[in-house]
Amino acid sequence: MKKREEPLGSLEHIVLLAVMRLGEEAYGITVRREIESATGRDLSIGAVYATLVRLESKGFVKSYAGEPTAERGGRAKRYFRVTADGKGALRNTHEIIQKMSAGLKGLGAT
Amino acid sequence: MHHLALHVATWIFSRLVPEDDREPLIGDLVEEYALRVNAASSSAALKWYLQQICASTPPLLWVRLTRAAWLATLGVALLAYFAVGVMQLIIHWAIPSASAPVYNPLGLVIIFPVVVLIGYFAERFRRRAAILLGAMMLLAITAMTVWATENAPLWYRAAYFFVGPAAAFIGSALRSLRPARS
Repeated sequence: MKKREEPLGSLEHIVLLAVMRLGEEAYGITVRREIESATGRDLSIGAVYATLVRLESKGFVKSYAGEPTAERGGRAKRYFRVTADGKGALRNTHEIIQKMSAGLKGLGAT
Repeated sequence: MHHLALHVATWIFSRLVPEDDREPLIGDLVEEYALRVNAASSSAALKWYLQQICASTPPLLWVRLTRAAWLATLGVALLAYFAVGVMQLIIHWAIPSASAPVYNPLGLVIIFPVVVLIGYFAERFRRRAAILLGAMMLLAITAMTVWATENAPLWYRAAYFFVGPAAAFIGSALRSLRPARS
């Protein structure tokens, strides 16, 4: 309950959204690609991983090991999925953004 | 040449990143590198790879540091060391002596159980914190003996070599005895 009330940092927010958008295909490099294609931000894989580790320690994502593949030199992937607490944190952050931007002119939509 | 640079960079990177994240991280980099070699050139891909390694090292080192249990142990030991210092000041202030209050043997007698108690509680918070406290005290006493300008009596210096570290180790031992009793 307390975790859901905790606001997300801006990078945490973006990474969590990317994991949610990717669904079953969310792992380090795909999360990085998703963020780059959606926002144009050229993040390092280390920054993405460090954020994912932080999100996991907060209980907002859960990771599990995939199968090793040849194109990765026989190394396994580490997949991530958003937990119920993570979805709660996203909803909470979106509510805050909506409340703070309500009635402001010059922000485009709504 | 590209191959060698790739291997050296990967090896250095693998030594720096947290062990749990090593395999998936390097796998991710290798996967993207292979895609970029096919899409552009091996030079551009290598440049991207090396840039990624340089930019990734600081945040991953931070992850490694924050995960390290020794940091918490060091923090508890430092707090305990500070508590010992405060207690020493209080004891020296409380013992009335006109000439040289710091060289009073009564101070040593009182500080011993105090350090045992602080060591015990430090060990309760964090395993091995009391051992670290004892080691820190030993280092501090050595440094003070080597660089101190004031001439403390030999018996006093020798006693402090024993009292502080021994008391901390006894505190640690007492803590380890506790579960066996219950």
